[in-house]
Amino acid sequence: MNLFESFSAGVQDMAANRARAVITTVGIVLGVASVVTVLSLMHGGQAQTVAFFEELGGLRELRITDSRSDRVVMTAAERASERLTYRDAQAILEECPSVLTVDPEIVRYLQVTWGDRTFRMKVLGTNAHYPYADDMPVATGRFITDIDCETHANVVVMGPTYREDLFGAADPIGKKISIEGIPFTVVGLMEKKEFYFRGGGGPGDRNVLEWFNRSHYIPITTMIKRFTVSDRLGGLEIAARTVEDVPRLEREVRTLLRRRHGVEDFEIDSKREGVEQQAQQQQFFNIVFWAVAFVSLFVGGVVIANIMLSSITERVREIGVRKALGASARDVFVHFLVEAVAVTSVGGAVGLVVGFGMTAAVDKLLGMPTALAPSIPLIAFLTSLAVGLVFGVFPALRAARLDPVEALRYE
Amino acid sequence: MLIRTEALTKTYELGAAQVQALRGVTLAIDDGEYVAVMGPSGSGKSTLMHVLGCLDTPTSGRYLLHDREVGGLTGPALARVRNKEIGFVFQNFNLLPRIDVVANVSLPLLYRGSVTRAERRRRAIEVLETLRLSHRLGHRPNELSGGERQRAAIARALVSDPSILLADEPTGNLDSKTGREIMDVLDALSAGGKTVVIVTHDAGVASHARRVLQFEDGVVAREDRR
Repeated sequence: MNLFESFSAGVQDMAANRARAVITTVGIVLGVASVVTVLSLMHGGQAQTVAFFEELGGLRELRITDSRSDRVVMTAAERASERLTYRDAQAILEECPSVLTVDPEIVRYLQVTWGDRTFRMKVLGTNAHYPYADDMPVATGRFITDIDCETHANVVVMGPTYREDLFGAADPIGKKISIEGIPFTVVGLMEKKEFYFRGGGGPGDRNVLEWFNRSHYIPITTMIKRFTVSDRLGGLEIAARTVEDVPRLEREVRTLLRRRHGVEDFEIDSKREGVEQQAQQQQFFNIVFWAVAFVSLFVGGVVIANIMLSSITERVREIGVRKALGASARDVFVHFLVEAVAVTSVGGAVGLVVGFGMTAAVDKLLGMPTALAPSIPLIAFLTSLAVGLVFGVFPALRAARLDPVEALRYE
Repeated sequence: MLIRTEALTKTYELGAAQVQALRGVTLAIDDGEYVAVMGPSGSGKSTLMHVLGCLDTPTSGRYLLHDREVGGLTGPALARVRNKEIGFVFQNFNLLPRIDVVANVSLPLLYRGSVTRAERRRRAIEVLETLRLSHRLGHRPNELSGGERQRAAIARALVSDPSILLADEPTGNLDSKTGREIMDVLDALSAGGKTVVIVTHDAGVASHARRVLQFEDGVVAREDRR
């Protein structure tokens, strides 16, 4: 007796007893449907996280910041340290082999004047390697260049948000504006950067990247020369040559800065940690979803085992007859196991369809991101197969072990 | 010699009590014989049939089928012997209710393995034709009369061309006219050279056989030959 025949025998048996088949499969249908929904939600969440960080910038970068000290009284070494400076940034570029670019940043809120209009605005001193420039190209004009930094040029690249406030419809490129009374030439205008967690449009669904749009950029050397008393940095972004080089670069930078500062008064964070943090939040939901899916699958499996056991009691005589005609214990075992798998496979197929429906409903009604990966039908199929195998084994063993003489005598 | 048993015993444990169903049965049945095993209920004749049919194993003694010891076989080996050598006919037919007549009749070939679906079907239909059931091939057992059911059951017993046809009260659930019809079938099979062993308490049924073994208290008490 081959597997296909056992399978079709199982399906025939299901068809002959529809009410039982429906009750049996309800559990597995719900279980597989929840698995499908969970997987879609997980894929959706992950895809959104990745999309967010891709919009924010690549994963090759490390961010170095001053660490906050918990202690009230600083040690002598801590007092002696100049903290993170522009000179540190230069040293990293010269001494760390794994570094590709460094982007020191100093932020100041400064008076920006054009004509008779004056605003207090966020101005960022940076260089040509401002990491977000790749993902947020200038809409018109150009970004800050190495030459701007070398020459301490008085040039500014504007964020898009205040463009209309300052210039109205006029093209700002080439216009002279004054920052704290010093004339600067506008050389570029940034493109607008947007990311909405719920697809945008809804109330409370803010553009989480709006702060980029409100910033203006000048060469960091100009910032140090004109507007600050020291070259202390607000932050330092560095990029490794490749994503794989990131851990090595972190070690190199840590060693270098510890030597220069005499104390570890800085922190190094990677974007990867942000992704991981996001993934951890996602994890919590995933665990809850998985628990629900697992419980439904388990209940579905128990229902199947239960109904199969009672069906075996109904069919004791049939088992006796089959054995009298030459069925071995193995034949009977395979027969009933395959019947269980047939039930769960059909349940799995229905569950897949129901799961797609549930996914669409979750997407539409709750506004949660979902994504249907091609692996989902496969996983649903394997899950229903596994439930059939696991919960079919016990009833099938019972059937296989029946004594033919007693089974034939059974009324 | 087709069947030879030597001092067969079978003891059941019923709770604390021990029941000796067979107390040393020694008999021989030759190829082509027509044998009836008679006796009151509880005489052990059903147990003998189960042991001869390889559904059950003896507690002690020897059972040789085709000069091969089968009394000690277990599990899959015993299932193979049942499948190849034995054709069972039951009092209550024991056809599977959810499949049609052809599927029922071809079941023994299903468990033989290596017989294709088409071949199984072909042989089942062939046997059903000889038993005048060609008009019932696609019917479920509950659509058949009692006599037709038993003929279908006999077809199932014959489809694998077994050495022995073992019939347990084959007319017990049939009216006397249909019962005679079934006995005609068994007579014809015996006349065709098939070894037939009938277990019955009905003297009329037993009278068809050439040889009657009277069973009492787990032993052969008397033997009549005609």
